[in-house]
Amino acid sequence: MTGDYKFNTLGLHAGHVPDERHGSRAVPIHQTTSYVFQDSEHAAALYNLELGGHLYSRISNPTVAVLEQRVAALEGGVGACATSSGMAALFVTVLALCSAGDHIVSSSKMYGANINLFEHTLKRYGIETTFVAPNDLKGFKKAIQPNTKMLFGEIIGNPTLDIMDLPAVAKIAKAANVPVVIDATFNTPFLFKPLENGANIVIHSLTKWMGGHGVAIGGIVVDGGNFDWGDAEKFPMISGPHFGFQAVNLWEEFGPAAFITRVRTEGMYNIGPSLSPTNAFHLIQGLETLGLRMERHVANTAKMLEFLKNHDAINWVSHPTLPDHPDYEVAKRLLPKGAGSIIACGVKGGRKGGQVFIESVEVASHLANVGDAKTLVIHPASTTHSHITEAAMKAGGLTDDMLRISVGLEDIDDLTADFDQALKKAMRAAG
Amino acid sequence: MKIDVNGNAAFASTGGRAFDPKAEAVMFIHGSGQSHLSFILQSRFFANRGYAVLSPDMPAHGLSDGDPLTSIEAQADWHADLMAAAGVEKAHVVGHSQGGLIGLELARRHGDKVRSLSFVATALAIPVNDALIDMAKNKEARAIDMMTDWGHGRQGHMHDNTTPGNTHLYFGRELMAANETGALHADLVACNEYKDGAVAAAGVTCPAHVTLGEKDRMTPMKFGLKLAEAVGCTHPTLVQGAGHMLPSEHPIEVNAAVRKFIEANP
Repeated sequence: MTGDYKFNTLGLHAGHVPDERHGSRAVPIHQTTSYVFQDSEHAAALYNLELGGHLYSRISNPTVAVLEQRVAALEGGVGACATSSGMAALFVTVLALCSAGDHIVSSSKMYGANINLFEHTLKRYGIETTFVAPNDLKGFKKAIQPNTKMLFGEIIGNPTLDIMDLPAVAKIAKAANVPVVIDATFNTPFLFKPLENGANIVIHSLTKWMGGHGVAIGGIVVDGGNFDWGDAEKFPMISGPHFGFQAVNLWEEFGPAAFITRVRTEGMYNIGPSLSPTNAFHLIQGLETLGLRMERHVANTAKMLEFLKNHDAINWVSHPTLPDHPDYEVAKRLLPKGAGSIIACGVKGGRKGGQVFIESVEVASHLANVGDAKTLVIHPASTTHSHITEAAMKAGGLTDDMLRISVGLEDIDDLTADFDQALKKAMRAAG
Repeated sequence: MKIDVNGNAAFASTGGRAFDPKAEAVMFIHGSGQSHLSFILQSRFFANRGYAVLSPDMPAHGLSDGDPLTSIEAQADWHADLMAAAGVEKAHVVGHSQGGLIGLELARRHGDKVRSLSFVATALAIPVNDALIDMAKNKEARAIDMMTDWGHGRQGHMHDNTTPGNTHLYFGRELMAANETGALHADLVACNEYKDGAVAAAGVTCPAHVTLGEKDRMTPMKFGLKLAEAVGCTHPTLVQGAGHMLPSEHPIEVNAAVRKFIEANP
């Protein structure tokens, strides 16, 4: 082999060489909790991290490792650690970087659970967060403090679809010696690779486009290996003694893999949000077709945008590839292969119109997920955000008439026909 | 640990264990554009078996200060100075790639400091073509990509790793990128200009062992076998299917071979 394998080849093969004994072409499911030691020395060697291998499936597992290595390869990272969900991936990342008294700078337009974690849960443990609009570069610069341990954001914000200008934000973070952590769930490495654009750590909810089938919840942390953790006063968990692990200095011992080693030897070892081998197997099946699926997601999204823009029942349509989107230019520069398959639009009839539409679709599914191969729709005002005040919704960029569409892989004519009949019902209901 | 060597702070990994200079010592010497991180699984393996491990970063590599050294002879002398600064009188020396040339020269110039020599994926000479030397000087990132690519075998390219979740290829790339600019170029020039391998090998009096990768494209096995013959290693360890980055891609085989050899030659 000369040169790196390309995206689709890595999606199919990375992390797995068929074993000599059985020759299984598919990645086997190692549905086991633990692993037989050859002898005492072998056991000690595994515990001492002087030998690669598996001890206990809370910490690592052969099937899960294939998934980890495959995602690391697709993202261009030095290593990865899979978790039971995307939120668990974010939590173990924070755990590896922050302690009480530390500070996070975060994008303000992102997934609600991410905001909740930063705003409420971490606060209880003495970790404060300053929120900044994703493209407020001056705001990011101003928000960074001496105790800031990470800068966090999403490339394509969920659900408002703001695009973060990562290269510009990363430049600010680098000057302040702060690692950039990106939730890349909405873009996937097929559309955009954060590590090649200034990020240091990438997390995913694998449940969404990476898996794509909607059968397994999972998350992952990918270490870019491109951050200098040498400031032991600022990053004592990476370049100070790791007291839970022979007081070893991870930066000295593991270099570019220091952060991900911390995640595994603390996050997985002490907290344990591990991914099941069976879920890892399902997610691997999804990764095998990620490139193909993303091409189709993007193509269907473009056609759906055209349909919605010209439909009488639609008030407005928002997507970063549309020239009237505030981040159109940033999206054009950073996401030339497509800006994801989530569309926000406003249906005539406001809250009532939205509710009727959602209850009238027949091909699309009404549920609280995104990134499935099947088209998914939700009307936040009557469902996920029905308990939230109008003011809070407005602050989050949400309106009564807003629909969130996760465009799937169906034949586009079937989708537009389904939307057309549901939108007509919505319009009639709205009078 | 940090040690002062000739006025510059040098870093040497001790394999994550406290360093006792009075214990039987093993010193690892890294290759071109590499650092102590080439030997993560070797330094930890031997440190956890009671050896005093020294796995240094040469100047301008890894966590060591100073300007890069520009000849194999100077690099050999630097390792001798490092041993003295660390209080180590004699060590088993394990050299990978360029580190093998340095090991040879260390044995020639400071034979009293070398208890045994273990060569891993190396040869009597490592000529480097002008295009790569030029690239290392003018387009270092591209040279790193090329060397990382050529250095790794199938495991690396398939991102298959015995350490769960990690990838050889991108780790290797970041490891090299972390060195000071110019370190790789100095190493490649030093390798290219070193012509005394055969003479140094003929003078080796300590026990020596050679471990080679069958599919090594940087120091092909046939040249490694000539080194084995020159240093009197009658039973070299040949790792089937392995590329140049043997210590990271095939740690189990390398550790077993080096351990067996060192234990047989205390």
